[in-house]
Amino acid sequence: MTGQQSAAVELGSGWFGSGLSPHAVSRLADCCASVRTFAAEDIILREGAATETFGIVLDGRVALRLLVPERGAVTVMTVEPGDVVGWSALVPPYRATSTAVAVESTRLLAFESAPLRKALQEDPALAATVYPRVLEAVARRLGATRHQLLDLYGRDQEAVVW
Amino acid sequence: MIGIAPAPPGYLPRSELDRLIAILRDEGRTVIGPIARDGAIVYDEVTSTSDLPAGWTDDQAPGRYRLSQTGSPRLFDFTVGPQGWKRYTQPPRVPTGTAVREDGSVRFEAAVPDPPRLAFLGVRACEIAAMLVQDRALAAGPFVDDDYRARRAAALVIAVQCTRAGSTCFCTSMGTGPEVTEGHDLVLTELDDGFLVEVGSQEGARLMQTLETDPALDTHRAAAAAGVASARATMAGQGVAAEGLPARLMDRLDSPRWIEVADRCLACANCTMVCPTCFCTSVGAVSDLDGMVSTTERHWDSCFNGDFAKVAGGNFRPRRQDRYRQWLTHKFATWHDQFGTSGCVGCGRCITWCPVGIDVREELAAIAPPYEAQLPPVARPPSLDNLVPLPLISVPPNVLAPAEREVDTIVAAVVGVGSETIDTFTLRLEPRDHAILDVSPGQFVMVHQPGFSPIPISVSRVADGLLWLTIRAAGPATQALVRVEPGAEVGLRGPLGEGWPLERAMGRDVVIVAGGIGLAPLRPVIDELLRRPEQFGSVLLAYGARTPQDRLYTGELDTWRRAGLEVSEIVDRAGAEWLGQVGVVTQLLDRRDWRSRDAVAFLCGPERMMTATVSALRTAGITRRRIFVSLERHMDCGIGICGHCQMGPFFVCRDGPVFSVSELGDLFGREGI
Repeated sequence: MTGQQSAAVELGSGWFGSGLSPHAVSRLADCCASVRTFAAEDIILREGAATETFGIVLDGRVALRLLVPERGAVTVMTVEPGDVVGWSALVPPYRATSTAVAVESTRLLAFESAPLRKALQEDPALAATVYPRVLEAVARRLGATRHQLLDLYGRDQEAVVW
Repeated sequence: MIGIAPAPPGYLPRSELDRLIAILRDEGRTVIGPIARDGAIVYDEVTSTSDLPAGWTDDQAPGRYRLSQTGSPRLFDFTVGPQGWKRYTQPPRVPTGTAVREDGSVRFEAAVPDPPRLAFLGVRACEIAAMLVQDRALAAGPFVDDDYRARRAAALVIAVQCTRAGSTCFCTSMGTGPEVTEGHDLVLTELDDGFLVEVGSQEGARLMQTLETDPALDTHRAAAAAGVASARATMAGQGVAAEGLPARLMDRLDSPRWIEVADRCLACANCTMVCPTCFCTSVGAVSDLDGMVSTTERHWDSCFNGDFAKVAGGNFRPRRQDRYRQWLTHKFATWHDQFGTSGCVGCGRCITWCPVGIDVREELAAIAPPYEAQLPPVARPPSLDNLVPLPLISVPPNVLAPAEREVDTIVAAVVGVGSETIDTFTLRLEPRDHAILDVSPGQFVMVHQPGFSPIPISVSRVADGLLWLTIRAAGPATQALVRVEPGAEVGLRGPLGEGWPLERAMGRDVVIVAGGIGLAPLRPVIDELLRRPEQFGSVLLAYGARTPQDRLYTGELDTWRRAGLEVSEIVDRAGAEWLGQVGVVTQLLDRRDWRSRDAVAFLCGPERMMTATVSALRTAGITRRRIFVSLERHMDCGIGICGHCQMGPFFVCRDGPVFSVSELGDLFGREGI
């Protein structure tokens, strides 16, 4: 199986790629896809740096971390198999909003960001199927972030009656 | 009533009423009746008719009460004053028990009711209705307020039928008056020169014989009937449209009027203090200086008070509009669900004694008008004349019977205290009476330490004759509790409440979703599932916590995994050393699918987390009937008597804390309930 074929198979097996048209799958696989493997603690994206990779986690786990002075690296979210990492590759200014680190051995279906953006610009049909999926992933993350923001299990603000 | 020898009505000249008072006093009763004091008619001891408010009458309107002299010799020519008889049947402060420390051990003694033998003289029809309503709330079981029951049983009720009504009276529309029809021993109707006397009980019949009244003449009967009819006529058109009101009111939980009325309401709680049916109380503890003897006492409280619905995690009714809505919807709607009757008897006290003159009749007409027609302003709505009053459901004969279920405080010794997180601890207790160990998963106990009010704590395990309680040190009582040394003793009452319906999970997959300390009441479920795994399908435990350090029972999670549970964890935030998931608990359910399988879900955690989880589970194919949540509410008594934990028609302590989401309907997750 060629690299493109295996990328196409991997893409179709997950949430993001299932339901994409054969045209979209082959276009994405051809343009820039490869399966990459990261060892634990390998850095996939670095906060503030240009996002070179848009990826779908195939297995393993990726932590999104922010560096907080005096607290060190705080993991604000983990990305589990099936979900995307590096959505900032598709949204200006194309810079990573957190540092993405593999916390265990992780396989990523990785798309190089420049050819991916070019393919999406040139092919409106492709863009029309890919962008809603990216938006869904980002929206899901936004919803989770809001719940985290509520600090529901927190005790700083709570009333003391007993 | 059953078993009363029919006795013809008698006639008692006004000058002879003293004989009745004397008979009652000779029989060892203290007679409580109306007296004019401090510009109002209040109920206090009367020793003769000269204490009664001869010639006084009252003028009442929203936010207004004035007494005036008419010069008439009548003794009962007024309506109802600020205080109802609940001051004597459910006094503002009642001791409930004592805790004594002695040589390192603790003894708990329940207060033994010792009610005075009272005779209530001058009880109006609406006030009797109020007693019957309170009987249902406090003495109809399964749990009973012993002090209330004893006081009610020890009091004689001598009623007086109203022959006049005030502008705030609306008993006719609530179906409670002005005629006295039940719940009395004797009933008087005041005439120009005396009283028509009728019998309502065997005790009343005996009194009537002792009293040696003259037989009543037809003219006496006619005059009495005319007096009562005139009171009824005064109330025509000044009531509430009671028919169908519960459903109408619960339909209007989102009415903008709640905000508008809350702007006027001072949340002073006057309405609930003067209401003859409001029964909510709190339990407080008073300790002597060296802490050796402490007394718990129950005192009146009000759903208008800011702390009434407060729990360790927040306040369920922080806004005045939430509290006004709770009071009005409880009184006029959910009371029916709880007690089979309205909580309002139409005495009008809440209208008269509201300092800003809020009139419930006007609010009800604005918030929940009859479906068929917008109600005209309350002043003279003619359509109300034809409304069928809601009958007050007759009280079952066993209403003042002893409690079906007794819950005494038993002593338990602390065997060990283990730390779960920085502020959460598990106490292992050995109770002296092992009956309390018969706990269903999800039930709770009231934990009593001398000097503190009892607090509700979920049972987190029962093993080897010990009761395990997992407690977060959030306030003074819980902080003191987690600091106890092994060997110390505490009091326990329970087990209480309805737990997880494990029988609904048999043969099905089980999804357990816990947030933070919410894992504690779910651990007995896990213990039970592991004890008989062949009876259940696959089990998923999805556990969310604030940080990795805030997770409970970390030592057991792997044991559960090895035993076949799928355990998945997630935390809100973590340092780089945490290799598990970070995010929110619903992410553990993303893209799961139970549509083709038969699954039941058990949830416990902050309410906001549970509402999000319910959405995720429904998306994944589990229906609301199969999703069960454990609710947190303020609980003072644990047996559905103090009123704190009410949520719509439910007493969370008694009917819950576990409910199916479909049972709760749209009350679940709604703001301010």
